[in-house]
Amino acid sequence: MNTPQPPRWAKTLLRWLHPENTIEEVEGDLDELYVYAYERSGKRQALLRYLLNVVSVLPPFVRRRPSAAKYNQPFSLSPDMLKNYFKIAWRNIVRQKAYSVLNIAGLSIGMACSILILLWVQNELSFDRFHARADQLFRLTCSAGDFKTAVSAAGMARGLQAQLPQIKGGVRISKPSPMLFEAGEKKVEEKRVFYADSNFLEVFSFPLLAGNAATALKDPGAIFITEEIAEKYYGTSDAIGKTIRINNNENFVIAGILANTPSNSHLQFDAIIPMKTMARWSQDIQNETWGNFNFYTYLELDAKTAASASAQQQLTQQIAKIFKDRGQAVKIDFQLQPLTDIHLHSNLQIDLPGHGNIQYVNVFFVVALFILIVACINFMNLATARSERRAKEVGLRKVVGANRHQLVFQFLGESLIFSFLSLVIAIGIVCLLLPVFTMLTEKTLAIHLLDGKLLLSLIGIAVLTGLLSGSYPALFLSGFAPVKVLKGKLRVAGGNLLFRNALVVTQFVVAIVLLVGTAVVYKQLDFIKKRNLGFDKSNLLYLPMSGELGEKKQALKASLAQNPLMENFTVISDLPTKLESGTIDVIWDGQTTRNQVVFPSLDVDENFVKVFKSQVLAGRGFDSAFSGDSSSYIVNEKAMQIMGMNVSNAVGQNLTFGERKGTIIGVVKDFHFKSLQYAMEPLILRLNKWGGVMVIRTTAGNNEQTIKALEKINQQLNPAFPFTFGFLDKDLDNLYRSEQQMGSIFNLFAGLAIFISCLGLYGLSAFMAEQRTKEIGVRKVLGATVAGVVGLLSRDFLKLILIAIVIAAPIAWYAMNKWLEGFAYQTTLEWWVIALAGMLATAIALFTISFQSIKAALMNPVKSLRSE
Amino acid sequence: MRRTYLGEFEELVLLIISILGREAYGVTVSREIEQQTGRVVAFGSVHNTLIRLEEKGFVKSELGGATTERGGRRKRLFQVTALGKTALADIQQLRSRLWKLMPDDTLKLSDI
Repeated sequence: MNTPQPPRWAKTLLRWLHPENTIEEVEGDLDELYVYAYERSGKRQALLRYLLNVVSVLPPFVRRRPSAAKYNQPFSLSPDMLKNYFKIAWRNIVRQKAYSVLNIAGLSIGMACSILILLWVQNELSFDRFHARADQLFRLTCSAGDFKTAVSAAGMARGLQAQLPQIKGGVRISKPSPMLFEAGEKKVEEKRVFYADSNFLEVFSFPLLAGNAATALKDPGAIFITEEIAEKYYGTSDAIGKTIRINNNENFVIAGILANTPSNSHLQFDAIIPMKTMARWSQDIQNETWGNFNFYTYLELDAKTAASASAQQQLTQQIAKIFKDRGQAVKIDFQLQPLTDIHLHSNLQIDLPGHGNIQYVNVFFVVALFILIVACINFMNLATARSERRAKEVGLRKVVGANRHQLVFQFLGESLIFSFLSLVIAIGIVCLLLPVFTMLTEKTLAIHLLDGKLLLSLIGIAVLTGLLSGSYPALFLSGFAPVKVLKGKLRVAGGNLLFRNALVVTQFVVAIVLLVGTAVVYKQLDFIKKRNLGFDKSNLLYLPMSGELGEKKQALKASLAQNPLMENFTVISDLPTKLESGTIDVIWDGQTTRNQVVFPSLDVDENFVKVFKSQVLAGRGFDSAFSGDSSSYIVNEKAMQIMGMNVSNAVGQNLTFGERKGTIIGVVKDFHFKSLQYAMEPLILRLNKWGGVMVIRTTAGNNEQTIKALEKINQQLNPAFPFTFGFLDKDLDNLYRSEQQMGSIFNLFAGLAIFISCLGLYGLSAFMAEQRTKEIGVRKVLGATVAGVVGLLSRDFLKLILIAIVIAAPIAWYAMNKWLEGFAYQTTLEWWVIALAGMLATAIALFTISFQSIKAALMNPVKSLRSE
Repeated sequence: MRRTYLGEFEELVLLIISILGREAYGVTVSREIEQQTGRVVAFGSVHNTLIRLEEKGFVKSELGGATTERGGRRKRLFQVTALGKTALADIQQLRSRLWKLMPDDTLKLSDI
């Protein structure tokens, strides 16, 4: 039967405009209705009805049937889907072993680095925060012009507290003094012994394990020792009531056992002795003087003042006023240094040793971040480079009905698996490296995995790394249009290549900046080591004149003189590593206004010039032939300039130093008597009549014999005290300990950053070589040389590294200049350092690439071309 | 009581689908509406209503087998779901309850 058909044009219109997923049923229904109407009311009626119906099912009238794809689609994060993501991810990891190893190695090394650095940073930042009222504790510091110091006068703590209601408490602590401890058979010199006021334990929260905190420090003759010291001398931490003999002349009763000083305390002590004991002989304490700056004063402020900067400023002005009213003519400014700032923000003289530096903390924090970023970039790069391989999978998944969310989750899941695997390995690496790292940083760092906060931050790092490194592949790969991917080869888009190149450049910028940093730190340290200090520092051995040595100076000199090993010796009040005395109380001929410059002083004997090999520019050194030298002075060049004199007229001028009038008998060339971080200061040399440190210039190569001979002399003259000695050049090197540490940490991490970057480069070059296998085959068949092919493959990377050098140079230049500014004497930052770092990075990168490119170039073209 | 959102035309179409049983698809529904009510409706309104009812869950649909009479095109056959049946029952109950509540003389036409 020939069924009537509606006009073709109407059908075409319907097919063209009606929604695709309902066209079949609608067209069929309309045809049926047409036939029905045709049979009932004729062709015209039927056509009219048909057209009306067609219009009613065209947009905008038609309702769209929801897309079939939406049916039965599981929630993207349903357990089954999650299981699937992880399963597929795991299969991918296992299947592409080389790729996975590169990725996991890079990520885990990067993570291990940042965990190590973050442990260090966290330790540095935690200093002195364990005190219960840490935010209310301040240290009173003062400055006279450029001379800033951590010490203040003995009378200030109590005097200020009496007059200023904002100050709730004050505690004085002496400078640390080494003391000879003796209990039973043990007899050792302890270096970290302090005198402290009786409220020491009220102000600070050092835990007391045994003893009475409230009363013990009030009793002269009592002593607090740490657990460690108790164990050392008595073999038990229960040592209360036992006696300890100090400096061979006085017995102390142990009144309290303190827990070992936390490593993150700027105050590091082995024993605390009541200030009352010191008051027996110290004029400063007895008179509560305001003139001699010999103590560290810690003040506890009320909460209101502690919280407000302006209230503190007002307080310091009040302090300065009280100080002036006390009849002190010297102009001194006072500052309140928050307890928590002492470790990282202190650049004061005469401070307790072992300070950190906020600059290093910041630098290393940034370095940690960058290393992690470099590792993430690696991951992204490799994943993007291999995206062509995964494109088919993406296409297929999409055809089967996956939507974009699911693909994003899948790829993120994959990178999360990578990052958590890496985290586990990284924790292993950290545990392995921690002993080395603690040696390098000289800190007691530990990784407590059960600590919730740490665990949380580690997981945070892993999640962040996973999301960051997975973000680009996830967003990029999931965007593939399935038809394009499955139809044929997907052309890697230009944008993708650009992005990848940018990532490689970033990696190398970081690596080159770190390399330059290492080079500059090394150069600066070398500069410091090689700098002419103004005296000959080699072969200088010193012997502190402790115990009976001080009294038997003549006998000591006599026995030294008899020994042929000692070339020469001199007695000096302080070593030129840390000179702590100084005064403003200086008057000279022709002085118009009162002096405001701090003049450090050093007491030396007649042999000083000869032993230190310093240079006398005018006049002479001290000489035993001149009996009047006890009131003579020698000044250095800087002091001479400050006093407005010159080499030709300085000798013979009058100079009053402290209370003592005298004349200048000589001028010595400037020599460094403090760390090179401080600029040259004026110096006044006086004749030493009391003692201090015996400095001996030994003949080269005879150190061991000299030490033995010294030990023998010490045993004869000073039997009660153990023999201690030191080398001056070693002590000088120790002044730059933190810089050296920074150098070696920098070294380590720069190396690792380069290593991680190269891992990525290795993977990338392998991929590139693989991708161009056929091209290389054709080129070789046509006569390309191996060198030509290697060049071809390396050229692209070389370009990127050159760009990285161009970007890194100014960054490194700026950063290193900033660091060098911290030194009064600094090496010059020369262009070749950056050039060298760049060349090194290039060389390492080329070496890395060469593996793959040479392999590709040497491959037999028959193999690569046969497959087509 | 659960509220049912069912428009007047939707209710009509739903009733007709249940009347037609296994034979309910676009053509039969349109024809039945025309025959039962005398209303001539555009196919588009029937089509849209069927889709809307399905979205609301009152009917379910599946494509039938191909037949030659439609040029090999498949029909989409509709069936009332349990939810649809409850909806119809609810409406009927509501109506009868309202009818019962109405005073006897309200509907006397002579009063108007």
